[in-house]
Amino acid sequence: MAQDVLNALTLGSLYLLFALGMSLAWGTIGILNFAHGSILMFSAFSAYLVVREVALSMPVLLLIGAAVGAVLSLLVQVLAFEPIQRRAKDHRQAELQILVGGIGIAIIPLAIAQHITSSVPFGYSGGTFRVDTYDLGFVRISNVQIVTLVAAFGLAAAIGWWLKAARPGLALRGIGVDPEVSSLMGVDRRRLALLTMAVAGALAGLAGVLLTYYLGSIAPETGDAFLLKAFAAIILGGVGSIAGVVLGAVILAGIETFVLVTTSGTWAPAIAFGVIFLMLLVRPNGLLGRQEVRRT
Amino acid sequence: MNSGSRIGRRKALGSAGALLLAVGLAACSSPSDSSSGSGSGGSGGGGEGLPDTVTLMAINGLTGPVAFAGTNAQKGYDLAVEQVEADGLLGDTTIEIEYKDSAASAQEAASFASQAITDQKYTAILGPSASAQSTAISPLVDQAGIPTVYVQSGSEGVVTGDYTFRLTPPAASYFDIAGDYVEAQGVKTASVLFNSGNPTLVQLGQDSVPALAEDHGFEVVSTAGVEATQQDFTTPTSQIAGDDPDAAFLMVQGPQYPVAITQLRQAGYDGVLVGMSAAGAGNLSSAGEDAAGFVWPTNFTADQEGESSQAFVDAYREKYGEDPNNYAAEAYDAVWFIARGLAEADSADRTALQEGLAAVAADGFSGAQGDITFDGNDARVPGVLVQWDGSREVPLSTDGS
Repeated sequence: MAQDVLNALTLGSLYLLFALGMSLAWGTIGILNFAHGSILMFSAFSAYLVVREVALSMPVLLLIGAAVGAVLSLLVQVLAFEPIQRRAKDHRQAELQILVGGIGIAIIPLAIAQHITSSVPFGYSGGTFRVDTYDLGFVRISNVQIVTLVAAFGLAAAIGWWLKAARPGLALRGIGVDPEVSSLMGVDRRRLALLTMAVAGALAGLAGVLLTYYLGSIAPETGDAFLLKAFAAIILGGVGSIAGVVLGAVILAGIETFVLVTTSGTWAPAIAFGVIFLMLLVRPNGLLGRQEVRRT
Repeated sequence: MNSGSRIGRRKALGSAGALLLAVGLAACSSPSDSSSGSGSGGSGGGGEGLPDTVTLMAINGLTGPVAFAGTNAQKGYDLAVEQVEADGLLGDTTIEIEYKDSAASAQEAASFASQAITDQKYTAILGPSASAQSTAISPLVDQAGIPTVYVQSGSEGVVTGDYTFRLTPPAASYFDIAGDYVEAQGVKTASVLFNSGNPTLVQLGQDSVPALAEDHGFEVVSTAGVEATQQDFTTPTSQIAGDDPDAAFLMVQGPQYPVAITQLRQAGYDGVLVGMSAAGAGNLSSAGEDAAGFVWPTNFTADQEGESSQAFVDAYREKYGEDPNNYAAEAYDAVWFIARGLAEADSADRTALQEGLAAVAADGFSGAQGDITFDGNDARVPGVLVQWDGSREVPLSTDGS
């Protein structure tokens, strides 16, 4: 039982790591970036290309992943999303074009990684970090599992605090409520949008490297596979709420783990998404979505 | 603007939710010399009835998620074309292959097939690796009467009529060699983990392994499915480690293997691990030593015995400077199969070629995969057991030596 709970929390932390950056950009500057999975994968892939040549430690690879993710995300914002926003007739059209544009952009890094790896999985066996497992009697846990859990919930707490207490975070929440009034109040929307996308990309990069460490290896298509789950966690928790994303990720992982443990496993995604559907019927804005919007 | 923004986001949220739910609820020596049947030693060989050039269309995913299969197949095709020409099996006739990249799209594949059907310059089609694409093509080519030779594409609905052939034997057809191995290892209990989104893997997990258990005297104590794109195997591997069977059969997709094996070992499981051919083609490289000892039956490995197999491997190494994998071997056999069919028919007419291919299939031949026989239009090979030694796959006898 304790092992199942730990497994569910670990899976939830993987979904959370992926969803944090995506939720931050969507809930504040209104950008639903479907290239997020590709940025995650390519950041991890870039770290792999480096560690293949030089044996580096986990912190260094995390820095590389975060830097590559931030740069990629900024490039996407400057080269694709900003031009879309400038040319779109209204906000709604811009949102939809960004959504479709993100799907298109995602194909580029995916194709590059697929070409270089021939779609064979890659990992960090060339690095200095080694996985150790500790048997505590009632539960078995690895060092990389601990790092993943601490990083996911720690980052979620840090971002939640930043949005509530730091000036840029407060300004971002202001944009999330009313971009026009925020501008009139002196908020530099473009600068904050760039900052948000850089942070979101860095989170994707961190998530990609941690994910690769935890799973041992990932394939170029891994980002796409997580995209749907992260998206589900955000919708379930409520767009714009960091606490909601945490809750959504843990609930989704909890349901999946429960189904895997109690059945043959085949029905895990169907049951998980069925439960989400029922939850959304009762709370269409997600579990914590409404409270967050009112508060901001 | 404020309300517009909120409404827009709400609508986007609604659209996104609908999308989410829809998806969530809703996959050397010449080979002709080693022919055991027809081929250059058969009625062909002169190519008097053949045109100067026989054009084939190869439809395959050269980009996208199955690019690893498509690009390796392309190498096998190209090598075989060179060898057929050098061998003189078709006289002065040369084979020309036009490559069409269907990426991950069944619609694209069907569109290319339609083009090949209507353009009479194409004598035959080398079909896609992905079952979803092949099942879209098969009804078209069978009805139009253009011979189509597939590699991979292991699902039902691919070999559907006289004009469709498949050079990749179903994994279940040679899986029995894994039974001899686990029996030699003294296995009495086993767990099964399979990918529930892939028909071949479902068949292996739900039918082949239980049948193996019955034939080789072990009991399947647990069977669990994972979704098609499963990334984290922490829970299912913990369950297997908890059950602690003598062996665990992992029937998952290629990129899932290193993760499943690594997490199984981290969960404390140290029993016998058995997989299937998708574990090959370099997929275990990232697992390294964690996957050492992992065993799987396959239709081809670069170090397998057999004159025709080693002739292919030597030629491949010389041309590309690397070891061939099963995708290249199957593709190589597919082109030689068509070349033998052309020699048998002594004609590039589609109907004549189909009859020539049927004759070759009836006799079988020796190729990269060893001695190839056919069950109808579907290839069969003896198969070979291989083991990951921590850095590469090596052949293994069924007693584990």
